[in-house]
Amino acid sequence: MTEGSTGAPAVGLVAVSHSRALGEAAAALAREMLHGPAGEAVRIEVAAGLDATTFGTDATAVAEAITAADTGAGVVVLMDLGSAVLSAELALELLDDPTARDRVLLCPAPLVEGLVAAAVAAAGGADRPGVAAEAAAGADAKAAQLGPVEAAPEAARPGPSGLGEGGAEASGTFVVTPPHGLHARPAALLVQALQGFDARVELRAPRTGRGPVPAASLTGVASLDAGAGDEIEVRARGPQARDAVDALLALAAEGFGEAPPTTAPTAAPAPPTSTGDAAAGQAAGGAAFGQESGPLPASPGIAIGPARLHRAVELRVPDEKAEDPALERERLDRALGEARRTVAAVRDAAPASEAAIFDAHLTMLDDPALVDAARDGIAAGSAAPAAWAAAVDAAERTLAALPGEYLRARAADVRAVGDEVLRALLTSSSRLAVPDVPTRGTEATPRESGDSAPRVGSSGDEPPTAPTAPAPPAAPTAPAPPTASTAPGPPIAPTAPAPPAPPAPPAPPAEPVREPGSPPAVLVAADLTPAEAAVLGPEAVAGVVLAGGSATGHAAILLRARGIPAVVGAGPAVLDLAPGTPLALDGTTGRLVVDPSDEVRSVLGARLARRAEQEATARARADEPARTRDGTDVLVGVNVGADAASAAGTGADLAGLVRTEFLFLDRAAPPDVDEQEAAYRAVAEALGGRRIVLRTLDVGGDKPLPYVPMPAEANPFLGVRGLRLALRRPDLLADQLRAIVRTAHATPVSVMFPMVSVPAELHAARAALDEAIAAEGRGRPPGLELGIMVEVPAAALTAAAFAPHVDFLSIGTNDLTQYTLAAERGSAEVAALADPLSPAVLRLVDATCRGAGSATVAVCGELAADPAAAALLVGLGVRELSVAPPAVALVKEAVRGIDAGEAAALAARALAAPDPAAVRALLAEPG
Amino acid sequence: MTTQDQLSAWVREFARQVTEHRDELTALDSAIGDADHGANMARGMGAAVEALDASPPATAGAVFKLVGMTLVSKVGGASGPLYGTLFLRFGTAAGEVTELDAAGFAKAFRAGLEGVVARGRPEAGDKTMYDALAPALDALDEALAAGTSLGDALRSASAAADAGRDATIPMLARKGRASYLGERSVGHQDPGATSAALLVAAAAATLG
Repeated sequence: MTEGSTGAPAVGLVAVSHSRALGEAAAALAREMLHGPAGEAVRIEVAAGLDATTFGTDATAVAEAITAADTGAGVVVLMDLGSAVLSAELALELLDDPTARDRVLLCPAPLVEGLVAAAVAAAGGADRPGVAAEAAAGADAKAAQLGPVEAAPEAARPGPSGLGEGGAEASGTFVVTPPHGLHARPAALLVQALQGFDARVELRAPRTGRGPVPAASLTGVASLDAGAGDEIEVRARGPQARDAVDALLALAAEGFGEAPPTTAPTAAPAPPTSTGDAAAGQAAGGAAFGQESGPLPASPGIAIGPARLHRAVELRVPDEKAEDPALERERLDRALGEARRTVAAVRDAAPASEAAIFDAHLTMLDDPALVDAARDGIAAGSAAPAAWAAAVDAAERTLAALPGEYLRARAADVRAVGDEVLRALLTSSSRLAVPDVPTRGTEATPRESGDSAPRVGSSGDEPPTAPTAPAPPAAPTAPAPPTASTAPGPPIAPTAPAPPAPPAPPAPPAEPVREPGSPPAVLVAADLTPAEAAVLGPEAVAGVVLAGGSATGHAAILLRARGIPAVVGAGPAVLDLAPGTPLALDGTTGRLVVDPSDEVRSVLGARLARRAEQEATARARADEPARTRDGTDVLVGVNVGADAASAAGTGADLAGLVRTEFLFLDRAAPPDVDEQEAAYRAVAEALGGRRIVLRTLDVGGDKPLPYVPMPAEANPFLGVRGLRLALRRPDLLADQLRAIVRTAHATPVSVMFPMVSVPAELHAARAALDEAIAAEGRGRPPGLELGIMVEVPAAALTAAAFAPHVDFLSIGTNDLTQYTLAAERGSAEVAALADPLSPAVLRLVDATCRGAGSATVAVCGELAADPAAAALLVGLGVRELSVAPPAVALVKEAVRGIDAGEAAALAARALAAPDPAAVRALLAEPG
Repeated sequence: MTTQDQLSAWVREFARQVTEHRDELTALDSAIGDADHGANMARGMGAAVEALDASPPATAGAVFKLVGMTLVSKVGGASGPLYGTLFLRFGTAAGEVTELDAAGFAKAFRAGLEGVVARGRPEAGDKTMYDALAPALDALDEALAAGTSLGDALRSASAAADAGRDATIPMLARKGRASYLGERSVGHQDPGATSAALLVAAAAATLG
């Protein structure tokens, strides 16, 4: 059945995708299936994306990947869609060695499933056709699980034997011991164990009635649906039939490398606990959005596409039998880990001002009150989902009952975190990537009625990462004022806000399963959880329409950060739209047009084209300096967290803010000097040796570290945080400063102290830095600069007292805004107050610039990422803007359109404005 | 005779035209595709011109190979491998010569079109670049066979390409992303046919 043996070179694999991230993740998943020397022999190469962030495929890159993957046994190529296929075909023509072409097989299997199955087959020594056939069958197990649309896969059906006649025959039986049955890992080991033998081997599972399936087929084995304790019949035919069966039985006797349960499963079925609908939970309360409310702008930009309805999937804790507590506990730990990764990804995708919310969520995932309670439940015999749900319910109830608005608000966070873990535990959960197939008809219609305070951040003409401050919710008939000075643009439609959804035609009973490469659609949903919003990409989704709006506003904020146009508060009628109904939306003005006329389409299309052109121009010039029309240079930096690589290739002049917290969170002990130095050097490398501004540890009581015991504070944002904390823990600060000094001996570094209120704090920090320099004993690093964050109004107002002692002052507009307006961004009730375009905040920026003397003034808050605000900041005297990676090019381009003289005049008028709306009106005046 | 300098001029003119029509191409693509055709082609051809400037090729074949390879790696979308293949096959067919006669030019262009067919497997009426290029090359062959000069033949070809482009409007898309739209693709001019017509128009403008 298979040729080759594990000693020979293995077939190489190439993954071709439009997305670098997708290609690399698919390869990483496949590598998880490879074990031992046979696994190591399999080369998996990735050719994906034009660069780390630009979608596209490059035939020359595919050709190089093929060459690199071919170790003699040839290559099987798996692709996503469209140009990936064309580029792969073209790559064959580009191969230097024409004979290599004959050793390459392009396989039409789905990328992820195909790559995983192909990796196992290749490690088992299968030849190219064998690998490709396994890859092509890669989706069968999923189809068997989910119920295929048309026909059950061959492998899953009871069927005739494929062993044929003649030759030696052997048989045997074994019992499945891995606790989760013959799932992917044991199945992969089984397939690999057999592939060296000259024999056809078949398996049958009498209990499930499935089989016989070829044992060489990973997907066939998986489709047996064999659980722990099931007996499996083995039959083999061929010269080495006996040896093959013996090898298989030996592997089974070893438990497929997995420890069998040490005790009998405790049969203590947990009571089913409904934890409610995630979306409904988020949007509880508030008045219903009637049709008259109309949609509100949530994320700028224009989208045209067919409607795709997303129905929130209810997280229902199954009534399942608990496994051994150790296994349930392991299951919980895995889910916690998965949730941690999801939340961390959300945090990294979120604008800086929101990151703290997700940092807090991460902390909750380590909260003993929650995790220990769930573990106790498991120890008492519950299955992991039930135990976790009970722990979350209890924690939520406790918090909700506490006095103090702040703590009560955390109850919603516990629920959000709890749902994330539950989703990980119930892995069959639906994500947005799953084709939208209504399963329960109208029952699936979400229940919530709306949202009391949707954010309506409205900013310039669709900057992909430029959420400006939330504006007060617009009155139904008052269109949000345009705020971009650069893009007047024609009004899209005459007068009134678009009628939200007209009565929809009766929805078809079931939408046909969409092909994986549908055109970007407009996603229509009741609401989105932050995690759902964070995984949406412009490639898959042209825009988003929410019937309600997120109570917390996280979804809208994340959509803005990802550059996905969105409107919220469109009313429940949109949920009745027929799938595929053409929709056009303008997230800048809050318009939603159902089944737009050609005229509307062409106007919107033209705006879309202009946006694409602006972006293309900005991207093309990203590496050039940002200089105003009249020759003032403005440095544009990039803000960096854990993912330093995201800063590479952005065109940033420096890393204007490196949040070093990522090194300190989620661990039991602080990183030592060596680890920190290595991390900081990695950031510098990602920036190509440009200056990096390292902000010392900036945490507080809202995200306590296990190794920094903190007293409970009623309001951690006014408590011990930032430099205040560092000065109370000189050991931590000393280590960090030594790592910074060491890094500064190798590459240009600035050190920046956060949350400084009075000069005495700066002096103490400077003394600590001098000690670190002395301790290193190599003198002061020549390029080392020093500065402070200006986040506290006191520091802004007394900038002149700090200026002589620093090289720069970097204004953190997010915290400065919160402290100035006494309003927390994370609280939906008061978020509208926390507007960085408040003249009060601008006056503090002005005070900082006027007190700065020769020190450079930078802005590293969210305001810096708003191209419309760039002129204002430059006019006030700011000479450095540091923004999220995707905004660098756009902000640079915005700077190039500024005349510093005009900007100063604009700034003077803004300082005299009475409120943020008046400032916005100024910014909207044509240049 | 067409020198390789003239062929380079053709490439530059095509680059100029796709850049000039970038918004139109993107608007067309936004109606039935993923709204990137104008930006992709302008980026790709801009890079191609830069490559020509950086190391001026010595032969006709080298001109088109350089352009083709640049498009393959810079465009990203399906027009990368499609136009890339067109130019690569064109270059291979033209060979390492510094001049092409009219017949050689037509033959090389035909080889390029065959490359597009091999790559994307379009058929007439699928609402693709093929619907502009195929009638254009038929007209070119016909005119040359009748003894017309290359310049006049290319003008005929350009007119045929424009007609083919316009004929895509009522067509139902069967290839690429537009095919996902089904009936809704009817009534929109195909962006690929539009850029292909620009390619022929650029030839008529520079090689006449």
